Amino acid sequence: MTLPTKPLALTVNGQPVGPLDVPEGLMMQDFLHEYLNLTGARMGCGQGICHACTIMVEEADGAVREMRTCITGAHWFAGKKVVTIEGHAQHDAQGGLVALSPVQQAFIEHFAFQCGYCTPGFVTGATVLIDQLKRAPIPRAELEKTVTEALDKHICRCTGYVRYHTAVRDLILNTPGLLRG
Amino acid sequence: MQVGMSRRGFLRAGALAGVALKVSFLTPAAQARLIETPPRPGPDWLTPDGKPKYRLDAIAKVTGAKTFARDYRAPDLAGWPKEQSHAFLIHATKADHTFEGIDLSVLGEGLKPDRIVLHEDLIADGITTPHPDFFGDVFLVPKGETPRLLGQPVALLIYRDFARYDAAKRTVRFDDSVVRYGAKTPFNPPPHYGASRYVRIDGGTPDAEDVFSPFKDTAIFGSFSGDAVVWPPAGEGDAMARGMAAAAQIERDIAAAGDGDLVLKRHYFSQSIDASAMEADNGNVWYDAESGVLHIMAASQSPYEVAEVSAGMVTKSKFRLTEVDLKVGYTVGYGTKDHYLFPFLSVVAGLYGEGRPVRLANDRFEQFQTGLKRHPFWMDNTLVIDRATGKFRIMTGHFKTDGGGRANYSFSVSFVGATAAQSIYYLPKSDFSAAAFASRAVEAGSTRGYGTLQSMSATEMMVDEAAELLGLDAIELRLRNVFRSGMKNTQGAIPGGALRNEEILLKARAHPLWAERAGKKKAYEAANPGKKYGVGYAHVQKDYGTGAEAALASLEIDPQGRIRFRHVAHEMGPGVTTSQAIMVGEILGRVPDETEYGVVRWPQMPLETTDEPYTLSQEEEDRRKENPRWTPRITSPMSATNSVYYLGHATREAARILVDLALWPAARALWSRGTGGGMLAPYDVRREELSLANGMLNAGGLPPLAFEAVAAEAHRMGLPVGVSVHTFNRWQWTEAEFDIPGRGRERRVVDALALRYGEGAPAERRQLETTGGWHFIERAAVSYPPTQRNNAGVTYYAPMATLAEVMVDTASGAVTLLSHHSILECGRQVVPELVSGQVQGGIAMGIGHALKEYLPLYEDGPGDGTWNWNRYELPRALDVALWTQTAEVLPPLSDSDPPKGIAEVVMIAVVPAIANAVTHAIGKRFYDLPITPEKVREALS
Repeated sequence: MTLPTKPLALTVNGQPVGPLDVPEGLMMQDFLHEYLNLTGARMGCGQGICHACTIMVEEADGAVREMRTCITGAHWFAGKKVVTIEGHAQHDAQGGLVALSPVQQAFIEHFAFQCGYCTPGFVTGATVLIDQLKRAPIPRAELEKTVTEALDKHICRCTGYVRYHTAVRDLILNTPGLLRG
Repeated sequence: MQVGMSRRGFLRAGALAGVALKVSFLTPAAQARLIETPPRPGPDWLTPDGKPKYRLDAIAKVTGAKTFARDYRAPDLAGWPKEQSHAFLIHATKADHTFEGIDLSVLGEGLKPDRIVLHEDLIADGITTPHPDFFGDVFLVPKGETPRLLGQPVALLIYRDFARYDAAKRTVRFDDSVVRYGAKTPFNPPPHYGASRYVRIDGGTPDAEDVFSPFKDTAIFGSFSGDAVVWPPAGEGDAMARGMAAAAQIERDIAAAGDGDLVLKRHYFSQSIDASAMEADNGNVWYDAESGVLHIMAASQSPYEVAEVSAGMVTKSKFRLTEVDLKVGYTVGYGTKDHYLFPFLSVVAGLYGEGRPVRLANDRFEQFQTGLKRHPFWMDNTLVIDRATGKFRIMTGHFKTDGGGRANYSFSVSFVGATAAQSIYYLPKSDFSAAAFASRAVEAGSTRGYGTLQSMSATEMMVDEAAELLGLDAIELRLRNVFRSGMKNTQGAIPGGALRNEEILLKARAHPLWAERAGKKKAYEAANPGKKYGVGYAHVQKDYGTGAEAALASLEIDPQGRIRFRHVAHEMGPGVTTSQAIMVGEILGRVPDETEYGVVRWPQMPLETTDEPYTLSQEEEDRRKENPRWTPRITSPMSATNSVYYLGHATREAARILVDLALWPAARALWSRGTGGGMLAPYDVRREELSLANGMLNAGGLPPLAFEAVAAEAHRMGLPVGVSVHTFNRWQWTEAEFDIPGRGRERRVVDALALRYGEGAPAERRQLETTGGWHFIERAAVSYPPTQRNNAGVTYYAPMATLAEVMVDTASGAVTLLSHHSILECGRQVVPELVSGQVQGGIAMGIGHALKEYLPLYEDGPGDGTWNWNRYELPRALDVALWTQTAEVLPPLSDSDPPKGIAEVVMIAVVPAIANAVTHAIGKRFYDLPITPEKVREALS
């Protein structure tokens, strides 16, 4: 007996993928890891708690939202445009790194991570937060609270969170248009 | 009983005749992927003055590149088949019934595994656990026997495709029908693991010779009668008998304490926790029957051990073995991936892969069910204090710990906890014992803190209570008893270097959090009805290292001045790859252009070892060391906070030797060019005046020389332009003498040395390069630290103190950290950003231990396979006082201060500091951790 499958097609990091025959119950995380060899969205809890596995989904209006791939089936993403951690930095045609994203750059300059296992989730979460602030700037006085509440769902065991959150705070301060008043 | 075994215990590899071991780091390419920023050549990760702008591994990690062992599948691994099989384990969740088999009918035909492996298969094929007294006597529970521990695996299921594996695993998860049990039986744990005791009576003053101490005399080892510890009888005979007599004397002194003494007796409990490393345990193994090569890709903090033990295990089986080829990626474990069973379970899976690589990777439920835990400690402490002076007269502590159903490092963790219990105090008389018991609990092992978090937290909570009872300020009481440089620890050994606890105490006492706490409490509580305010202080010093620290490093320069650096260390997260490179830069004035870590093939260092550094007798070691290639140990696991100081020592020694043998003579030669000895001759310039910084060499007012020019000259002169060293530390460094061609005999703080000569070397020098292209110089003499040092316990300490400011909600019982301030002394910081990251991360882990994390030990604990982070609460950003926390690091006494290992100490002080703060807030003391809202509500009711 084989498992029931369905064809799945979506866009991953700007590249069309599929249609591929994918088991109906397969989680997106396992699809990324085992079918696409994209292992950056990491398995932490498998329960949607730690957010090490998150990726971005691009909406029609260009906004991005954060999705947990360990508890979301691969087929939920059918037809959608997703960005995994492997798609944040700019690469040249040969795959060479051209530039990191602003969030990635801020994290490395702040020595934000240690083991780095949770880093893809933090990059994703922070990128989504900054996208939200571009659309709806906040007062300066609410900045630290906003950063911490937005990223609190991301668990890290090495760093104590300080450098991650400080990096995001500083990036927001240095990016025009994210604060008002 | 292994007498004299030191901190991390020991393991000896089995006989491996004829089996080649090959261990390699997996991702040099990813690691080296640094942004190139023209026009400045080379990596841009450094500022012009040689400071790192980001971690050496930053780019790979932040871009989601494959870095962790868990990220790799067979197609990613060069030379492996493309097809990947997947396996999972079925676990027993009862430890009081016999195991009778598995029933996979719930899977139906479609999800039936392609291969099922049971204990009986392993026995038939000659596969047994390596070191049963450490890893347990079976991999899988035998049919008809009662599991040793909850969560013990009973069967291995292998699938040739991921989809069926995944669906099957999800189907059997939480399904109680899969494991069939038989008759009810008593629990079936292994024998208890060990008991030890450290008794010391000083000679009347800290300086006088001790009446009795472990270092001077002996540690005492007990045995078990049922669940009771049996100590040797007291007497005047051998050292242990005299030690027990000293313990009896201390007991009499406590009993005789009068009104002039405060005698405080308290019981403390520190809970079992799961370190919750984000990367769960995993391994991927391909056994190639045709060639007899066992290919292992594993997450491990101790790759050498995985390779050696796997080889020993497979050699004894029916599977022919010619080579073990182990690859390791980055991993993270906080100690829990050091000497653990999982890699060997992965090997078992690989052996039954029928030619295909098999991946065994825990999900989080399985990780809770089988991952190594922090040991729970039950501690009975007694502290006797002279009321008039506030001086500690006596402290005793008798500890029990539960190591669960496999021995692992339980015994070692227990006695490390006992030897650390004195915290930062000088104790004229002390008696600390620890007993490690076996049980059906999930096994506990090496976990950040290693017994000392438990014992020092108790001491710090006790000292806080003692101060209250004496009517003294808690920091004042600490100052009266503080351990000062040159004093003896409870093992009777004098710790190395300056102990700057007094400086830290004075800083803490003056800090506004402490100095203004009474007024702030009043104001806060007036403004916030229902909220109680408190400030607590705690201060600990933690040893680092294992007492058998070994490392290998090499440095080479080419004629263009490019530096190549290779080291045995690999990255666990704290930044070892970054800091070692920076250390090279501090000595050579330029960081390496090329780095390679996790290097385990050292053909230029043909060393031999018995790998029994803790147990070898002095006589045997004296005999062995006559072999100039012998060393007590080749290398250490990446654990025990050992990277910056111990592994860094090899780095620093290699760099210093390179300066002495190549750069300084070459610079002198350049400065001496010309008539009459050139521009050097009129000056009196010495080696100690040489300064290397920013790629230039300077000395005594001579014209600066570019590093490249000096390197070229060193090559032209045929000087040693490559240096490889091996180092060994047994709470003291090993030194050896070497006959260096062209220089004569020199003494170095290494025990093995190999050189490679520059391009201009004469033929006779070249002919010496016969060992992997290097000249391995057999040492002429060696001084290993005496084996008696094993009894010293520890001699390297780093201190940390934390002030915690809390608010307690009297309605909910919730404790909220408002802020905290820490004071650390770590010698000379190599990369301050990495140090502060360690401090912040350690504190968060400590907060979890103090307030949130808790695992029941037995039937309702993690062995039942239902635990995950939904019910096991980890500290989050909102829990750590993220925006209000502060820390300071004492400046080094001088630039020559060694860098000290701090990864463990930084997480400890905050635990008792929070407990003491909660007491300040609500006036109630807590003796059991964690301090949950329920416990607070109960205390307030």
